[in-house]
Amino acid sequence: MTRRPERSHTHQSSQGKFDPARIDVFAQWLLPRAVQLVPRPRRADWQREWQAELWHFRNQSTHPASARSCLTATISLSYGLLADAAWLRSDQWKENARGSAASCLAALFLYCLLCILVERVYAGSWHSFGALIASHFLGGFIFIALPAIFAAFATYPLRPLRCDHRHSSNEGFLSTRTRWNLFLSVKILLTLALGFFATIAITAPVRLVIGPLTDWIELLLWAFAVTFGLRWALLNQERRCQRCLRILSQPTRVGVPSHNFLEWNGTELACSDGHGHLHVPEMQGSWCWYDRWVELDPSWAGLFSA
Amino acid sequence: MTSGKLFHTVAIILKALSLGYQFGFEIMEVTGLPSGTVYPALRRLERDGLVSSKWESEDLATKEQRPARRYYLLTRAGKTAEGTATQRYPLLSRLIPQKMVKT
Repeated sequence: MTRRPERSHTHQSSQGKFDPARIDVFAQWLLPRAVQLVPRPRRADWQREWQAELWHFRNQSTHPASARSCLTATISLSYGLLADAAWLRSDQWKENARGSAASCLAALFLYCLLCILVERVYAGSWHSFGALIASHFLGGFIFIALPAIFAAFATYPLRPLRCDHRHSSNEGFLSTRTRWNLFLSVKILLTLALGFFATIAITAPVRLVIGPLTDWIELLLWAFAVTFGLRWALLNQERRCQRCLRILSQPTRVGVPSHNFLEWNGTELACSDGHGHLHVPEMQGSWCWYDRWVELDPSWAGLFSA
Repeated sequence: MTSGKLFHTVAIILKALSLGYQFGFEIMEVTGLPSGTVYPALRRLERDGLVSSKWESEDLATKEQRPARRYYLLTRAGKTAEGTATQRYPLLSRLIPQKMVKT
């Protein structure tokens, strides 16, 4: 394509004057560097758009003619380029982190850390903090947590992992089953730790007022925290993709409840990466005790990549 | 994007789009907003479904001896949001003039 630049009559290139060409030279130098920030699938489109925008800036800009405005415009445009590229990158990070196993564990860990820091402030020193944690853990929490863990697993049997292993071979360092179990174990540990530390942090100011009587409040809060924490951890696991451990989304009602004897009805959830569907029956039957995970083969990937 | 999250900057950009300004540089020029605000806002609006984008025909751009532009258009949800923005910030209508000529 032959393009003839159409320089505006109001912008004369001279020493100390506004010169869009100078800005353009800088932006053209910056563009290939900034494009590295942009997620790979969007790079070509992004670069093409910015090249077009820079062309318009060079040829149609109505900025006042001064060296100062030239510098301001260069800084502003460079910031714009970088901000745009950085926004796309951060948006992709956020999108990838949303509902992922790593973000779940990171959030639990950060909440634990926050509670520990609050408690550390009340304790005064790390030594007294350690002594306090040890005495509360061995003197109360463990007697609440152990029966609760047993009760949770006994009354809420976790759905067996039903991967048909179409995807599971040669997938990273750990197998699908190992990652599933490891994530569940770490999540339960962090949930229990959060319940423990949060209770101590919440009751610390109360302890200053009513003294040892706080132990009873702590026991009550631990019982709640452990029971509901474990329940949440197990339910959360049930709503995750068995392959990538991301939270399933797009719940869709399927079937008609009044046709219960004729056809399946319930809710279907899908993995946003297209690994599979989870069928949650409206009513559990002898033929369907658990939610049913249906794995999709790689031929479906194109449908979900958009 | 709910009306509660409708910030002033977004409202200005939506208004500019509704008045016929369609690409980043044009929106920057008419609103006076810097590129570091306009482009990320357009991306966010597109992600939230208030704006859609499409590339201009390469033939038309070649005919006018310039690179093809990426045009941004309000979606139905975007038009609703723009209506809400105009109600909330009535002076927007006076701030941005209607686009008169084809650029």
